[in-house]
Amino acid sequence: MEHVWAQAYVTKDPKALAAVLDDAFVCVTSEGKVLTKADVLADVKTSTALQILTESMVVHLHGDTAIVSGSFRTKGIERGRPYGRRECFVDTWLYKNERWVSITTMVTFAGD
Amino acid sequence: MRATGWLLIFVYAGLLSGGAQEGGGGSATAAILTLEQVWSVAESRNDNHTLDGIFDNALVYIKDGRLVTKGEWLSRVRLAGTQTREIVPGTARVHIFGSTAIVVGIYREIGVKDGKTFLTQWRFIDTWVNKKGSWMLVAAGASPITK
Repeated sequence: MEHVWAQAYVTKDPKALAAVLDDAFVCVTSEGKVLTKADVLADVKTSTALQILTESMVVHLHGDTAIVSGSFRTKGIERGRPYGRRECFVDTWLYKNERWVSITTMVTFAGD
Repeated sequence: MRATGWLLIFVYAGLLSGGAQEGGGGSATAAILTLEQVWSVAESRNDNHTLDGIFDNALVYIKDGRLVTKGEWLSRVRLAGTQTREIVPGTARVHIFGSTAIVVGIYREIGVKDGKTFLTQWRFIDTWVNKKGSWMLVAAGASPITK
């Protein structure tokens, strides 16, 4: 599901992502902004990412809750200029109605 | 709300406020907000014993572009010096999902670095899980509010 997430940004397809985000989903960005599920799905449509590579990923299970943390690199083009950045993330997933849904994510820019 | 260990002048004054709940009661919200306060006070006093009791062993903390484990975080608190810093909590909103709770909020950090006073406003998000009747912090993170 983490890969579904990354792929949605590359393909600019919010549908797959919508299925794995809880309606109460909250994201805190590197800039300290709070995004709701609707915000994130809108963001996907205007994504500039061409490639998202997961560098590391660790899952900790706590009953019906899973914490997924790791880092990824994004390459893309913004305003005609290529960019690359590395970010760390921590996601919280909840097993709800017989499926896993993400209820939070936090991402921060990371050094190389 | 969090701090990296230095001397904190903690101003709580009921600034935290409970919020939306999903499948939970007000008592859980109150318990979580109390724990957030306990956490801040414990860090202000470099009280690793208390932090050890509320941090799950698998805690993942994300701040300053790094993923930090429980052990690493407690080390940071233990090694903290005597720099003066003030953490001022802002609003916080708790979402309860059964035995899992999410807290999203802001706090301000005021301190002195290289002889200059700085003020940073942070947005934080914490995940708590109820284990055998006790809420444990399993994930946390904060980003500076830049826009």
